[in-house]
Amino acid sequence: MKLEDLRKIRERAEAELRLRGGAARVKIVVGMGTSGIAAGARQVLRAILDEVSRRNLRDVVVTQTGEKGLSAQEPIVEVHEPDRITIYGEVDEATARRIVVEHAVNGRPLADHVVEVREVTR
Amino acid sequence: MIEDLAMHLADLLANSFRAGARRIEVGLRRRGGDLVLEVADDGAGIPEGELGKVCDPFYTTKPRAKIGLGLPLLVQTAEEVGGECRVESGPGQGTRVAARLPWDHPDRPPLGDLVGTLVPLIAASPGVEFCVELSDDRETWRLSTREVRERIGDVPLTHPDVLFFLERSLQEGMDRVGLKEER
Repeated sequence: MKLEDLRKIRERAEAELRLRGGAARVKIVVGMGTSGIAAGARQVLRAILDEVSRRNLRDVVVTQTGEKGLSAQEPIVEVHEPDRITIYGEVDEATARRIVVEHAVNGRPLADHVVEVREVTR
Repeated sequence: MIEDLAMHLADLLANSFRAGARRIEVGLRRRGGDLVLEVADDGAGIPEGELGKVCDPFYTTKPRAKIGLGLPLLVQTAEEVGGECRVESGPGQGTRVAARLPWDHPDRPPLGDLVGTLVPLIAASPGVEFCVELSDDRETWRLSTREVRERIGDVPLTHPDVLFFLERSLQEGMDRVGLKEER
């Protein structure tokens, strides 16, 4: 593939964004510290990106962050919504995909793997 | 447990993120009979007096540490197969880690999923500029996220088509410089 290929990708993606509107509704953050990586955070991050990509979710942002101070419960995944942050622990690939589908898409946090829910006050 | 070089690479990148790096250079090179894995960042660097300790598996300063447990494991892995691992760093000067491992040594860890490790980390780190350089004795292949971003504008690196581009490009680069297992 060549860098010139990106021009076509940009044209297509910008047309999509104009149609759908660009604001992010949900942010998913994967802890990528040493212990997270050893516990499978790479696969978790990849599974989340894959699921978001496969479902064409343009209003879901995925980022990584470092050590979350919860080493015993790595890999850690946080779902940030306007009114709350849900922290999931011991996430594997299958759970990561469920977080995307059930929580990010359908708005229903999982009943399992939840470490903490923080209300966001504004 | 660190099982492959892709995992070592992910750990080195995690150290760079933790050090607040905004620019990270990743090098994977086949030089003569060796494989060289190199990660250099512009992060906070390692304080004087701690540089000599970072390869000690029993030494850690987390969460302030600019280096992780993975580094001693990489040093150990490199030395066990007759290679070496060097760390250069200074406060405010970033950190450069370079590990040299004989390519054909039977105990060299497998490469692992380098593309599947690098691309998600690159894509999910919007504030960090990556420069990936793959090379062998004949040619050099480079990918710069700055150049990619210049061409995609506001489209995120996590866009499926951009992810596909990054994965395919990186795989093509690895194939061109012989970064694939033959055993």
